[in-house]
Amino acid sequence: MNKQTLKKFRLFWAWQDEKEEAWLREMAKQGWHLQSFSGPGIYNFLRGEAKDVVYRMDFRTTTKQDKQEYLQIFQDAGWEYVGELSSWQYFRKEFKPGEELEILTDAESKIAKYQRLLAMLVIILPILIMFNNSMIHQEGSWIVETARFLIILFMLFYIYCVLMILRRISQLKRL
Amino acid sequence: MPNKDDFSKYLPLTEATYYIMLSLVEPRHGYAVMQTVESMSKGTVKVGPGTLYGVLSTLEKEKIIVKVQEEDRRKVYALTTKGKKILVEQIRRLELMTQNGLQSPIFVD
Repeated sequence: MNKQTLKKFRLFWAWQDEKEEAWLREMAKQGWHLQSFSGPGIYNFLRGEAKDVVYRMDFRTTTKQDKQEYLQIFQDAGWEYVGELSSWQYFRKEFKPGEELEILTDAESKIAKYQRLLAMLVIILPILIMFNNSMIHQEGSWIVETARFLIILFMLFYIYCVLMILRRISQLKRL
Repeated sequence: MPNKDDFSKYLPLTEATYYIMLSLVEPRHGYAVMQTVESMSKGTVKVGPGTLYGVLSTLEKEKIIVKVQEEDRRKVYALTTKGKKILVEQIRRLELMTQNGLQSPIFVD
């Protein structure tokens, strides 16, 4: 018998991981459980029992060997591994009173997660700058001008992302 | 002439790191560390798997802990000599902090 599936398209910014976690939990309460991704923003759900399931996302890249240990620690703590998308690791655990529902339990490790994300973004910036510089001495055909405009737009968006993540970090910092 | 180690860059340890290091005076693997921290701290300090993995990675990189064994896919860690020295220094600092707090007029048992 065929299990019902559902494909949903939704975009969450990198600093909106808590929002995404809450959404996945709502879907689970309606009986839709995350199964896989078809790409960024494309979620594949599998029909199942309506349950209160907590989702948590960790931003983490590991070597192949370290990944085994990483996943084992989560498994031992009762978390089911759903999968990975662009270095975001998805875990879930059924809600039970008294159960620990956080995978990051102090501000320091939460901040470290956003810093890893920033480090990943920082790599893109020199590439964008190089791309833009290589077009400066070109004659102003409309194609070049449009491309340059798009790159500048993208750089502004990129700066916006960095600022939003920095803001998230400053919200987490304590005394 | 005594060689004075300077571990001030590691101190103070966060609560999670402190208890994780304390748990690794005895060799333990990840999940056992989580359980030990919770029972030692009487539930006041909980270490999630993401936090634990991050701390263990950092401690291993700084040679504060070392892998002593591997059971299935679980690595067993223990404190190194360097790790023990850092922990002892942290405990002494905490002892002084606690004494000062307990002797303060604001502290009523």
